[in-house]
Amino acid sequence: MNELVTLHTQALRGAVVPAYLDKLIAALRAARLNNTFPDRRRVQGSLETLKLAMEAGLYDQLYVDARAGLPNMASFTRVLTDHELAGGSLSRMSETAHYEQKRDEAEVYAQLLQKRRYFEAIQGQPYAPLDEHRVQLRRHDPATGTAEFRLDLTKLDATGLYVRITIELTQVASAWRRKVIDLDADGESAAANEAFHATVYRNASYDAEHLFIHMHDIEGVSVDRVQRGVIGPVLFRLPREGEPTNPVVPAEPDKGNPRLGHAWRRWLESASSDAPELLMCFQTDIAARDVREEKSNDPIEDLLSTSIQDSERARYQHTRERFPFKVFKDRKFVVTRGTEALARAVCQAAGTKNLIYRVR
Amino acid sequence: MSAGSKSLSDVLARDVAYSGEGISVRSLEDNIQEERTVQDTKVGELKVLRDRNVVIQTAMADELKKLRKFSDYIDGTATKGGFWAGFKEVVSYIPGFKSIAISKRSIEELLKQQYQVSAKRVKEAAGYCDVLKQSEQELYTEINRINGKIVEAAENERRALEYVLDLRTMQEELEAELQTIEAGSVEARKIETDQDRIRALLAEHSTNVQLYGAAENRYASLKENTRKLAETIRNLAQDIQQYTTAASIKLDMASAQIQAIGRAADASVVMLEMKKSLDVMTESMNVTTQFVSDTQIFFRQNLDKLVEELETFDEGTSALLDENLKKSKEIEEARIQSAIDKAMANRAKQVDGGGASAPAEG
Repeated sequence: MNELVTLHTQALRGAVVPAYLDKLIAALRAARLNNTFPDRRRVQGSLETLKLAMEAGLYDQLYVDARAGLPNMASFTRVLTDHELAGGSLSRMSETAHYEQKRDEAEVYAQLLQKRRYFEAIQGQPYAPLDEHRVQLRRHDPATGTAEFRLDLTKLDATGLYVRITIELTQVASAWRRKVIDLDADGESAAANEAFHATVYRNASYDAEHLFIHMHDIEGVSVDRVQRGVIGPVLFRLPREGEPTNPVVPAEPDKGNPRLGHAWRRWLESASSDAPELLMCFQTDIAARDVREEKSNDPIEDLLSTSIQDSERARYQHTRERFPFKVFKDRKFVVTRGTEALARAVCQAAGTKNLIYRVR
Repeated sequence: MSAGSKSLSDVLARDVAYSGEGISVRSLEDNIQEERTVQDTKVGELKVLRDRNVVIQTAMADELKKLRKFSDYIDGTATKGGFWAGFKEVVSYIPGFKSIAISKRSIEELLKQQYQVSAKRVKEAAGYCDVLKQSEQELYTEINRINGKIVEAAENERRALEYVLDLRTMQEELEAELQTIEAGSVEARKIETDQDRIRALLAEHSTNVQLYGAAENRYASLKENTRKLAETIRNLAQDIQQYTTAASIKLDMASAQIQAIGRAADASVVMLEMKKSLDVMTESMNVTTQFVSDTQIFFRQNLDKLVEELETFDEGTSALLDENLKKSKEIEEARIQSAIDKAMANRAKQVDGGGASAPAEG
């Protein structure tokens, strides 16, 4: 289970699956996520659906992104398609009582009973999208031709992380009537045009500073705030029954975050707990006009300005001078008993003060 | 007549215990119809599946076409205008994308959408596999029930045959006795009365011989058709399971590549890798298309034939029942004789076999 089955993908099977999903669900609950992040209830809904599906025996294994430690696109797509097909499947299936009555007659009835109960259980429950894009009109002044919008993109990113990006921007009349965001005839609802949507989508993996500069460069657009909320990466150590010295762990933690991956590998060398252990990250990254001090309180990701090459520094500073914003990065952690020391050590090494929540 | 009288009264008063609910032409017709309804329902389900199969095939073919176009254009082999010109054409196949300039779309997003649609189609097909498995199991349950009916009809036929033979023996004894008595005497009238009672019983039970015999044969035919239907369904379910399993494994394995390549393509960096990833997905779609094509042929070749056979069977049984009703009066004597012949033959077979029980004595 610690080997890759395909690109960036691990397959978890057996008893470690519910242990892994339970810990993720508990960590999401404990993280106290605000609306900077992807909707906690929906992500949690997807994880609970995956757990139910595995318990019902619908799938043999759970695919996990080896870098981010979260269920991967194949796993989240299972949830989506099961939700989309649940209603139709239930209408074609017999009633629960029928399967209950016949479950001892043949295996197929027992399987269908499980499947029916699964579909009934997930119907109407929240679940996370692979991608979701919304535009809200915050303020519209026809007199001055100014409109303020909030763009909201939730995306299961190619990095394996769940990302939510919120961009607040202002369009000026002569421009917004033609491009970027279109208002309907009543001036009440808005939709980003395809090009703008794609620009945000394509740049979702980059940090808020990058996005701010990129968006602000578009003619007729003035960006007020870009914020990113990122769920993951997750690091886990799941003991296997009968193999205490061979726990299930992420295969590519260094590709998720090199600094955290390095610390994690060091921690693993001395870890010996019989209980499942987990460390989950929740990053916020804001580039906005109302940020007072440019700072990173993120122990594993620096500001762009600190990592810029000397040869590029002058050009970078010139670019930044054109834009009136500052950047603030932060990260909180949810940990189990065994990984708490690891999180604290990482923060201490970086000189940051971060929220660390404990789950059992 | 004293010894014969005891025997006669026993035979006349015997309660022939047929198992089940009793039989008549009407009840047999109703029971057979009931069983046919089960078959018709299953055939109806198969017909729905056949129609659905066409829809899935069309959708799959469309998706395959898009993916192949993606692949060809990314390869740069399908268009003189270069990659972007070709890609724009490809995207025009996706609903709502016709008028959009391709440079304005995220390839990662497009691929994810396509991945989701493909995964949904595979799961839809797998869902029909469940329906088929349940149908198959219900048909095997039905076969068990029909087997019970067949055994019951065979046992009842044997009871009827044994009773008919006893009645015939008694009839012959009375006829012989009648010859020794003065015609028109009180004794002769009593014997004639007994003969009439025996004739009535013979008529009733020889009808039972024929009805139970017909029921046994017709239930056996019904079972054969039900078995064929169950096997058809099982084969189809196995095929669907095989292909959906293969397709979903390929999709599971392709998900990370699709995201990675989509991202890379968005960055306009590694276009050729995109083709590699798409090939994985195309392979999965190829399996799917082959399957739906095969199953359509399977349906054409088997289902229509099966339905035709069932219809022929239906016409045959109805005709038999009609004939029974129409001619029952005229052929009564022949039927009684036929039942007696059959009973005699049966007894002879039992004697030859040496293992069968003797008919019940009065």
